[in-house]
Amino acid sequence: MTPALWKSAAKALLEANLQLTRGSFSLDLRLTLARGEVLALLGPNGSGKSTVLDLLAGLAIPSRGIVALDGAVLTAPGRFVAPEKRAIGLLGQEPLLFPHLTARANVAFALRVGEARLNAAAARAAADRWLDRVGLNGLGGSVPGALSGGQQQRVALARALAAGPRVLLLDEPMAALDAETAPFMRQLIREQLADTGTSAIIVTHDIVDAVVLADRVAVLHDGALIDEGTTAAVLAAPRNPFVAALAGVNLVVGTVQKGAIVAPDGRTFSVRPADAADLDATGPAAAVFRPASVVVQTEQPRHASPRNVWSARVTGIEPGSGGVRLRTSGDPEIIAELTPAAVADLGLQLGSPVWLSVKATEVSAYRR
Amino acid sequence: MIPRLLYLPASIGLTLLVLPLAGLLLKVDWPALPALLLSPEALQPLGLSLATASVSTVLCLLLGVPLAVVIARSKPRVAGLLRALVTVPLVLPPLVGGIALLSLLGRGGVLGNSLELVGLRIPFTTAAVVIAQTFVALPFLVIAVEGALRTAGIRYERVAATLGAGRGTVFARITLPLVGPGLLAGTVLSFARALGEFGATALFAGNQAGVTRTMPLAIYTAFNGSGVTTDQAVALSLLLIAVAVIILVLVGTRRASVLS
Repeated sequence: MTPALWKSAAKALLEANLQLTRGSFSLDLRLTLARGEVLALLGPNGSGKSTVLDLLAGLAIPSRGIVALDGAVLTAPGRFVAPEKRAIGLLGQEPLLFPHLTARANVAFALRVGEARLNAAAARAAADRWLDRVGLNGLGGSVPGALSGGQQQRVALARALAAGPRVLLLDEPMAALDAETAPFMRQLIREQLADTGTSAIIVTHDIVDAVVLADRVAVLHDGALIDEGTTAAVLAAPRNPFVAALAGVNLVVGTVQKGAIVAPDGRTFSVRPADAADLDATGPAAAVFRPASVVVQTEQPRHASPRNVWSARVTGIEPGSGGVRLRTSGDPEIIAELTPAAVADLGLQLGSPVWLSVKATEVSAYRR
Repeated sequence: MIPRLLYLPASIGLTLLVLPLAGLLLKVDWPALPALLLSPEALQPLGLSLATASVSTVLCLLLGVPLAVVIARSKPRVAGLLRALVTVPLVLPPLVGGIALLSLLGRGGVLGNSLELVGLRIPFTTAAVVIAQTFVALPFLVIAVEGALRTAGIRYERVAATLGAGRGTVFARITLPLVGPGLLAGTVLSFARALGEFGATALFAGNQAGVTRTMPLAIYTAFNGSGVTTDQAVALSLLLIAVAVIILVLVGTRRASVLS
């Protein structure tokens, strides 16, 4: 181990420097996770995201490299701490509840063998409290087969957190859920990570996961980290096509005011009524909308009532996936997508003043 | 949907399995049955069979479950080799198994000579019965449990490990319960195989009343024996069938209650 790693390991909760070669696939990256931080590991399929989690959890051994948790070396040349002694939890796409145990017994198992080491009676009682926390009060006696996919995943989350992990690894935990269940699960994970103060790494290729759950984003491509930073910063300046495709949305991180989101530059974004009801009275939140939803005009629109309307200047004109991408001034900058004909009609050039508008119904909102 | 053509061979097959047993029932001398079954010639082999088959089954569990785990979690090539080795006694005629056991543990055998030096003689003892039964029954248990283990996979075990459970805990609380049905099926199969074992026992353990004469050997003796009618053999066969059916029913109901 290098002295440099010792130093940084003292600051970071989790520090990993991993190299792995498996056939034609090779992985080489360096990751850190601060105490209480949630890191989103973004990347296309086959980029090695799940492999990274296996290496951290001790379910796979790197060709070379080091994993250190709170200064204690877990993986290094000549040293390997078994998964059960790492206190690194894992929640995957599938709940993988033990099928022969009830929901309560699944969670109680974690409380007996995990950090808490409770006895059987105490574990059962604590398991019921955990099920209560994930909204499954009264379902403790159900076997996994009798629960819906979403309910099973909630039990799996309770079980993973009940083990008291120092770091929780989440491997696309919403991927197997339907579109109606996923947002609920996402909020639940957000709340439970915050309540327990658990540091976490979430692997995903859904930008919403990163927006809602993560403080920081790392982008993995072909086994290497190609970008890293705060979620907003990475999405604002995409550095590879994958991130650009992910970032094919406008993301406004701001604060809630009267059911709308206020951007750092003071612009207010009204959001879908359904989402507005979910927003806390105050607090951080994010608005997300597609560039194609942004209407560009050269004169101030008159029928402005349900719309978000503001003025800006064109700061960039680029080819986009569905036509021309128009970057406009502001914090954050808003991207509009329109046809080349529309750009010509409006006579847009760099520096042109424009009026932008978006229907509130096109804007999704997420609490952070 | 079943093609109608299949019903004919299906019913012939079923008839082939059931009709001989019906024939046996017709041959039973029902008035004399209680006396025949309660005679020492029936009860002694029954007791010996149940005792030796039970011990053999326990041995199968103690040795077979670990062996099944090792095979199921080995790399494919190693697993294939081990599986082939385990399957050999299964396809071997039991008589050949008896000769093999004699060659190893009998007088003049490789291990037999050494054991004799310390005063241990295994052939033609009750221990030989148990060894012969275990030899023929073990593959059934290993194959049933190994199949169940491979089906179950290692995903649940990995999850249990990330929750903090050590290997022993994972094995006892996750792995074994997951393969429960396979384990039960393997146990029943190996007990039934041990109970019916004849060939290897006859050669390796002999046919000494009260020591090595298990039910199958008693049936053979009654059938071939001088001065004994085949009624005794039929009665003993009926008893063996009854024991087998009782075990199947007991296991079946337990299994149903576990599943429900």
